[in-house]
Amino acid sequence: MKVILKLFGKDSDLSVLSVITVCTFVVLILILGDKFFSLNNLQSLAYQIPEFGFLALAMMLAMLTGGIDLSIVTNACLSGIIGAYFLTGAVFPLNSPAATSAAIVIAVITILAISIICGTLNGILIAKFSVPPILATLGTMILFSGIGMAITSGKGVVGFPEAFMKFGSGSVLNIPYIFILFVLAVIVMSILLSRTRFGKKIYLFGENFTALRFTGVNTERLIIAVYTIAGFLAGFAGIIIISRVNSARVGYGDTYLLQAILVAVLGGVDPYGGRGRIAGVMLGMCILQILQSAFTLFSFTPYTKRLVWGFILLLVMIINFIIEKRRTSAPKAAIKA
Amino acid sequence: MKVRSLTRMEKYLLAIIAVYSVVVTIANPAFLTFETLLDMVRAASGTLILASGVLVVLISGGIDVSFTAIAIIGGYVSVRLMLSTGINSLLFASAISCLIGLACGLINALIIHCFHLPTLIATLGTSSVFYGVMTTFMGTKGVNASQMPSSMVDFGGCQLFVIPAKSGTTYGLTVFIIPVVIILIVTWFILYRTMLGRGIFALGNSEEAANRAGFNLLNIRLFIYSFMGVVAGIMGIVYVSEVRWVNPIALVGTELSIIASVVIGGAKLSGGEGTIFGTILGVLIIKLLNSTLVFLGLSSSWNDFFIGIILIASVAVTSYQARLKNRRDLIFTE
Repeated sequence: MKVILKLFGKDSDLSVLSVITVCTFVVLILILGDKFFSLNNLQSLAYQIPEFGFLALAMMLAMLTGGIDLSIVTNACLSGIIGAYFLTGAVFPLNSPAATSAAIVIAVITILAISIICGTLNGILIAKFSVPPILATLGTMILFSGIGMAITSGKGVVGFPEAFMKFGSGSVLNIPYIFILFVLAVIVMSILLSRTRFGKKIYLFGENFTALRFTGVNTERLIIAVYTIAGFLAGFAGIIIISRVNSARVGYGDTYLLQAILVAVLGGVDPYGGRGRIAGVMLGMCILQILQSAFTLFSFTPYTKRLVWGFILLLVMIINFIIEKRRTSAPKAAIKA
Repeated sequence: MKVRSLTRMEKYLLAIIAVYSVVVTIANPAFLTFETLLDMVRAASGTLILASGVLVVLISGGIDVSFTAIAIIGGYVSVRLMLSTGINSLLFASAISCLIGLACGLINALIIHCFHLPTLIATLGTSSVFYGVMTTFMGTKGVNASQMPSSMVDFGGCQLFVIPAKSGTTYGLTVFIIPVVIILIVTWFILYRTMLGRGIFALGNSEEAANRAGFNLLNIRLFIYSFMGVVAGIMGIVYVSEVRWVNPIALVGTELSIIASVVIGGAKLSGGEGTIFGTILGVLIIKLLNSTLVFLGLSSSWNDFFIGIILIASVAVTSYQARLKNRRDLIFTE
């Protein structure tokens, strides 16, 4: 208990967030009762979290540097589409079990490779050409979906082998594979951010990139690495999305962009950079996903959901601002675009 | 009045448009007619109206993604009001739509100013809220062509002059050119001939410096975002008059391509730069691509691909030039 209190004292954002999470939980359990806490519902949560969890991690990484990555969703879509062509047998026929497993391996590698290339493109535009992250990723976002549209003409790529769909729907001890993969990614990311020099540099870059440059850190390489990792994470989201939906098409996951930003901000990531922790983002994700499934039980329309998401996004940012202002009494001086 | 020389970006854009038009004409001579030109004017008018608002926001260093939501709310609500009250007047519709735009814009400005939120994230939130409020409380039922108020249909079909085409039909210059030209002139006047315009450029260059120079940032922001809102409201009316029916889920989702066309036109998010002429050229390039890819034998699926490439190329070139200049001056703030 003492440890928990000490942890809370250290990070007020996190403690506010934990309280909110617990409150949402309690309220929803009171309203929905058993329906909410059933194994079924929890399991469906575990299936839904990973696909946009990876996107939220990617968004968080970009936001920690004071940037933003608008292209993650279309990146996931594009790499998913290109990988999907291997899975449907369009590139080479899947007439034997060996060919099928080879196709799955090649597809996964292709998806991750494409997503890394896309992420690196963002990084190069931002670091080497000094394009503001919003504009660079806006451009690549349109470009990636444009490439996807040009390849598919807007049609879906369908017909994957059974084994690949198992990856999205299978589970061990009632825990989905994709959830285990996601937990692993979270652990790796949190070690990367809190225990390595690379992670330290990311936070410092978000605090003051000019100062970091003059301490002798190669900030350009750092930024390229950050956006490449963001792209890599989006690639995982791409694999999960196409294996869960069992097809690949431009436009999948469009709503995730707003949600990824929402989760990052909800989790205490400062959009101006330099502050934010994995634990916070995980809590934010829990709140969002719990609310999401509650909305489904309440049968809200997608428009009402958007209304609530937008409202929560604004509310959280405003509360964060007020807390921050009370803590430092002096107004925040430096405003970055 | 001294006519300024073209900026480098504007020259590039003019060259691209010229070369592209020649290529399309060679591929398909049917392209180079007066009729195509007038069609383009009609297709581009709504976008041009929004683009002038976006230009002002971008020059101030912000980004607003809520304007398409505001436009469709303005158009939809005013049509529904006209139908339920029976007031069949274009002026009434425009007033309602502009008021809605003004209110939404003021909300944007207050949220951005009072809580120091990044403009992209704040407007992303408000656009979801505005749009969600409308769709939740007014529904998403479309208004079809036979129900549309006659004043709007007349406005949409009105043409300044009519020329008979060879095929027996007629074509002409759409009346939408009037609001477009008025808004462009007003935008130009505010940006380049008023203290307010100086303030918008100053805010875009450096918020801190603008504040210390004595500009009232709250007033400037209130103006910028309510201007965007009102302009979006006008565009909402033009849009529903043009398509002659209302689908409340149209428009939303196109905001990024409109921002893209303004950025292609040379507006810079980080330096208080941007010109009206550049914006017009940027919108023209996008519309040209939209309507002429078919002439080259490519399907419309290729739209985004080319828009993306042009956008990336244009931001890369302008940002890289600024970077080289900054490096020469030993500035390392980007």
